[in-house]
Amino acid sequence: MDVAAAKLLGAGIAMIGTIGAGLGIGVLVNGAVQGIARNPDASGAVQTNMILGIAFAEAVAIYCLVVALLILFVG
Amino acid sequence: MNNTGKGCLPGCVVMLVAFVLGIIAFIRVSPILPHIQLPAEPLTKQPIIGDIYLTNTMVAMLLVDIIVILMAIAAARAVKKAIAGGYMVPTGITGAIEALLEAIHNLTESTAGKWTPRIFPWFAAITLFVLVANWMELIPGVDSIGLLHEVNVEEGEHGYPIKELAPGIFYIYEPREEHKEDVQAGEMGEGEGQFHIYPFVRVLTTDLNFTVGLALVAVIMVQVYGVMAHGGRYFLKFFAFDKVIPPSKVQKNPLGIIDLGVGFLELISEISKILSFSFRLFGNIFAGSVLLFVIGSLVSVVAQWAFLGLEFFVGLIQAFVFGMLTMVFMSQAVAGHGGHGEEGAH
Repeated sequence: MDVAAAKLLGAGIAMIGTIGAGLGIGVLVNGAVQGIARNPDASGAVQTNMILGIAFAEAVAIYCLVVALLILFVG
Repeated sequence: MNNTGKGCLPGCVVMLVAFVLGIIAFIRVSPILPHIQLPAEPLTKQPIIGDIYLTNTMVAMLLVDIIVILMAIAAARAVKKAIAGGYMVPTGITGAIEALLEAIHNLTESTAGKWTPRIFPWFAAITLFVLVANWMELIPGVDSIGLLHEVNVEEGEHGYPIKELAPGIFYIYEPREEHKEDVQAGEMGEGEGQFHIYPFVRVLTTDLNFTVGLALVAVIMVQVYGVMAHGGRYFLKFFAFDKVIPPSKVQKNPLGIIDLGVGFLELISEISKILSFSFRLFGNIFAGSVLLFVIGSLVSVVAQWAFLGLEFFVGLIQAFVFGMLTMVFMSQAVAGHGGHGEEGAH
């Protein structure tokens, strides 16, 4: 196979890992919204922790993105 | 917010003019996908110090420094003036800065408690700095105005031909389909060879060197605050030898061995914090600017507006997350995790 074609395929396959981060963020926000609906007074603290959790879950997706970008634009 | 027709007028006119100019520019010069590379482009042919070239992200860093310092001076002046004038409500940009800092301060206070005066400056400084750096992406001319760089065609790199717009000012363009063969044969165009643009200013956070540097500063300061709060005992968090070192302790509390293993895991997680900090910021903003390039090269006039709005939001969130994570890690480091060891001693 052509090296350039393999690179494009590899970058695409690397991004499959973002499925996990998407599911994780969905679960996180689900929990946070349910928590806020039951106890609206706690919304500030819940939101802060939700953003923190999303940042951690998103980091995994960003690793995939960085790997894909490295495959595409380096070397 | 001014919702009357009069208040909207100047903004609407500017938008309309920009829209029409955009369409004219689109017809005259169709936009192209710029050259995308991970390392920052050097602006000087000779290295300035040792092996270091002046890169366009360094220029961006200096600009961000200047903007943040000017903001600080302006805010301090406005506060002094407001106090001297007797009314305590700052307006305009100072008001925006105050609102941001107040939100950050309240968040820090709710997490860090009595360490707020020590931790708040880091949170605020990192957030403001990264925010200004990220929002530079939204300014026209950043990432698009710069020096021409001749591409080494023999090495199989791909560039664009140039046209002279005014004396000394060139732009690169995509040759139309029917002329492509001519250009490759070198018969068309005033420009000899193939060119890229090395922009004068490239968004600071698309340089991995900067994000790794900032992550190192943040994580090292977390350790420093841990040592300030707990002294040398802080490192028992990572090397929990105090639980196992007279071996008689293991007989009393066999779980101490597990604590030793957990300590090593803590050490690894501390190192991975550097990785996740730097790649999160870099990945988000670099991907954002690539997205803007691609969308701008596909549909140049209206489509990019929505994505500029998205990048505005992403830049804000990423700056906030970087600062907030630093703050949370610092408050975890100063919180009394070593307390249970002390209880055992007394």
